[in-house]
Amino acid sequence: MNPDNRPFWDGCRAHELRFQKCFHCGLVRWPPATHCPACHETASEWIVSEGKGRIYTYVVYHVAYHPGFKDDLPYVVAIVELEEGPRLFTNIIGCGTEDVSCDMPVEVVWEDIHEAFTLPKFRPVP
Amino acid sequence: MLMELGGDEEVFGHFGAAASYALAARRAMHTFRTGPETWRHIAVGQRKWANLNPRAMMHDRTLNDEEYMAARWLVEPFRLFDACLVNDGGRAYVVTTAERARDLRQTPVLIMGLGQHNPSNAPQDATYLAGPTGAKVAGEKAFQMAGVTLEAVDACEIYDCFTYTVEITLQDYGFFGPGEGEDWFNGHTIEPGGRMPVNTSGGQLSEAYYMGLTPLTEGVMQLMGRCGDRQLGDKTGTKTPEIILCSDNGGILQSHACAVLRRM
Repeated sequence: MNPDNRPFWDGCRAHELRFQKCFHCGLVRWPPATHCPACHETASEWIVSEGKGRIYTYVVYHVAYHPGFKDDLPYVVAIVELEEGPRLFTNIIGCGTEDVSCDMPVEVVWEDIHEAFTLPKFRPVP
Repeated sequence: MLMELGGDEEVFGHFGAAASYALAARRAMHTFRTGPETWRHIAVGQRKWANLNPRAMMHDRTLNDEEYMAARWLVEPFRLFDACLVNDGGRAYVVTTAERARDLRQTPVLIMGLGQHNPSNAPQDATYLAGPTGAKVAGEKAFQMAGVTLEAVDACEIYDCFTYTVEITLQDYGFFGPGEGEDWFNGHTIEPGGRMPVNTSGGQLSEAYYMGLTPLTEGVMQLMGRCGDRQLGDKTGTKTPEIILCSDNGGILQSHACAVLRRM
């Protein structure tokens, strides 16, 4: 965590997906930054996403490249595109790895893994 | 444990190039007809070149379609043989003027054209994972500078960190349309004796990983005629090469360079 992305991760602890929205051009951006990547203006506000989107692409890990993920194999890492625009890396849970597909509608589900840390994961929209 | 992981990707268990290229490959499978059925031709075809190259790490190990398909998953949709090798080693080439090169003992190779294009978005923001990648514009620039078209190319040495990289690069250069790769590769196209040899040292999948120098130095050495049993021409039942197309790319399809080389 760093000063730029701390508001995002603090939002996750409160079960809110918070993103910067550019005051000038309206782009909702991720990752957080001091300048808008589209128009280069600095002024922005934090907005809360509805937490709904679709899977742009995904993979299924069969190798643990960090020992901490060994017990999770096989697990899905995806890029989810939120309705507000930002795309973020996340995990898809709540369904079999073979049931995941590109463009599948998903919604955020919160995983409180530590008292100081909550991960935003996604599951298929029922 | 998660508290020790630094990044907004690592906390979800996302690490390394194989998984990021697999994300690109998966999006391509959703966008056009491709997948392991296409990529096996690349892995198996390049291995046949490595079997002719005594310096290749996989020189003594054959690979067929069944073995490719039976290999373990790394990060689905990539299996073991979709990934490049891990090795130490070195490669070099010497660049000088054509005038100076004419007087040297070694047969020189001319750089006819160079092109570069770097989309360079962060992977989660990339919209080019299923093409067109930087290869499209880089290739157009290189051919424009060279003053030739795709039809003049006798062989290709393509940066092959993963099998899919070879497919999307050749597709973006214009050898075939989106989804036509399976048919284009089918029939031993890129192998010894094939109509368009690709990665004739075995490439990074089966010779060794020297970053962009695996393809580039192989292109140079083929045009110099220094390739022994894998030499393009009569020895391998292929056309004697006048022009070879080489590629390099970096990041997660974030940068691309293309070179058109010609025998002097």
